[in-house]
Amino acid sequence: MDVLIADDSEFMRSLLREILEGEYAIVGEAENGVEAIELYDDHDPDLVMMDIVMPIRDGIEATDEITDTDPGAKVIMCTSVGQEQKMKNAIQAGAEGYITKPFQKPSVLDEIENVVAG
Amino acid sequence: MQIDIDALETYNTLARDGARSAADSLSQLTGIDAHVEVTNVSLMALSDLEYEYVGGEFCGVRIELGGALTGETMVTFDAEARRVIADTLAPGGGDGMRRSSVEEVGNIMTSGFIDGWAEHLEAIIDISPPAFFEGSGTDVLTAAAEETDEQVFIFRSRVESAAESIEFHILFVPERNGLIEALGPADEGSVSLEKLEVFNEMTEEGARRAAENITTMTGLGAELEVNRMNFVPIDEVPATVGDKRYIGTVMQYTGEPSGYLVILFDQPSAEAIVEALVPMETDGEWSEMEQSAIEELGNIMTSGFIDGWANVLESSIDHTPPTFVSDMGSSIMSPIVGRMARTQEHAFLLDSMIHTDGEGAFRCEMFALPDEAELREVLGNLLVERADRTRVEPDEVF
Repeated sequence: MDVLIADDSEFMRSLLREILEGEYAIVGEAENGVEAIELYDDHDPDLVMMDIVMPIRDGIEATDEITDTDPGAKVIMCTSVGQEQKMKNAIQAGAEGYITKPFQKPSVLDEIENVVAG
Repeated sequence: MQIDIDALETYNTLARDGARSAADSLSQLTGIDAHVEVTNVSLMALSDLEYEYVGGEFCGVRIELGGALTGETMVTFDAEARRVIADTLAPGGGDGMRRSSVEEVGNIMTSGFIDGWAEHLEAIIDISPPAFFEGSGTDVLTAAAEETDEQVFIFRSRVESAAESIEFHILFVPERNGLIEALGPADEGSVSLEKLEVFNEMTEEGARRAAENITTMTGLGAELEVNRMNFVPIDEVPATVGDKRYIGTVMQYTGEPSGYLVILFDQPSAEAIVEALVPMETDGEWSEMEQSAIEELGNIMTSGFIDGWANVLESSIDHTPPTFVSDMGSSIMSPIVGRMARTQEHAFLLDSMIHTDGEGAFRCEMFALPDEAELREVLGNLLVERADRTRVEPDEVF
């Protein structure tokens, strides 16, 4: 399964890469919402791990645009934000899963399994 | 019970003037040129005062107040201040004379501190005979300070002398209801004291969550040590944070309320954190990956801190990606203060301290500066019965 990581933090991208490598193929890493949309168009991944707080365009806007053009896109928000209203916004944008940082490897893999299983 | 924020500003000014008067008294008596570095009023648990006195030798004078304003005032000197005062006033004197000189200075200073309050209230404040005290660390605090977690208003001034490298503190702990009565009738600018306390408790919960996030990320057992809501003249915010060098992150948040959150680690603490997050050889400079690790920790701590506000207020608070900073605390705060000072003269400075013990011990300070007018509005809209809704799990929503 191909996964796209979108997070402005180099540290967090490396942490996610460490967790996912071996289980999934990382097809790209985006540092902001605009890059996430471009890389999604380029690679058509099976799953996007999307941060919310990012420069230029945030993760909810990027998710909204990705799911607009590809209603079958699977996006998991992977964020430090634990606000109920933001979670609702993420659902409205088309996200199917939500992981709050800091996370442990099992919770990330469980959430991916849940979302992929639909 | 309502509390008038404008009157609180007046009283903060009175405390500052009182501290100046006390500093002037010291200068006149000893020739030591002392100045008030910072004065603020904090809503905090009396027991959190312990933090200020851990690990030092202190002496001072305590007086009880009655009449128009009830409570307690104390002046504390650290060991160096005590030595300098005694050397100046009682050179060559015996222990008794040296102690007496310090006691008298403390006595005159506390009186100078209180006089302005009595004048402002146009009433008499009764003062008990001064009681000298000395001891290590928290021994100098009254037993009451160790026992109660009730939030009280505490006026604190830090007075320094650059020439002599001495520092002393003036504390004024008025009896809570007596202070509110003295503040006068509530007007349009007033806020509910209950809501102010609840907001402070929400902030404490947010800081506790930030500490938990540190533990999860680094494996270092972090605990919240102190949480307090300071009300401080905006131009004194940099001095409140101090001139120590820090590493950390700055974030701006927008919503209700908007403002800034600054997370600061001292140098050894930042190194311990980075070592736990990205164990790798380092050349002493902050590499991009190390900066990114600090920024991400700041990002996660910020969310832990402000999400509770948003959830309780049923609103949304956005924050910018964190910016890595490495500078003196006052220099980090100055540009923020410069922006905020355009619209407000006083600030609520929410100050939380997180620490760990044992290997990789570190200390972290979080300073939240919400827009004052917006915070007043938020407090007005705050539903106290929702105060326990700070945490929302994604499973509850998805």
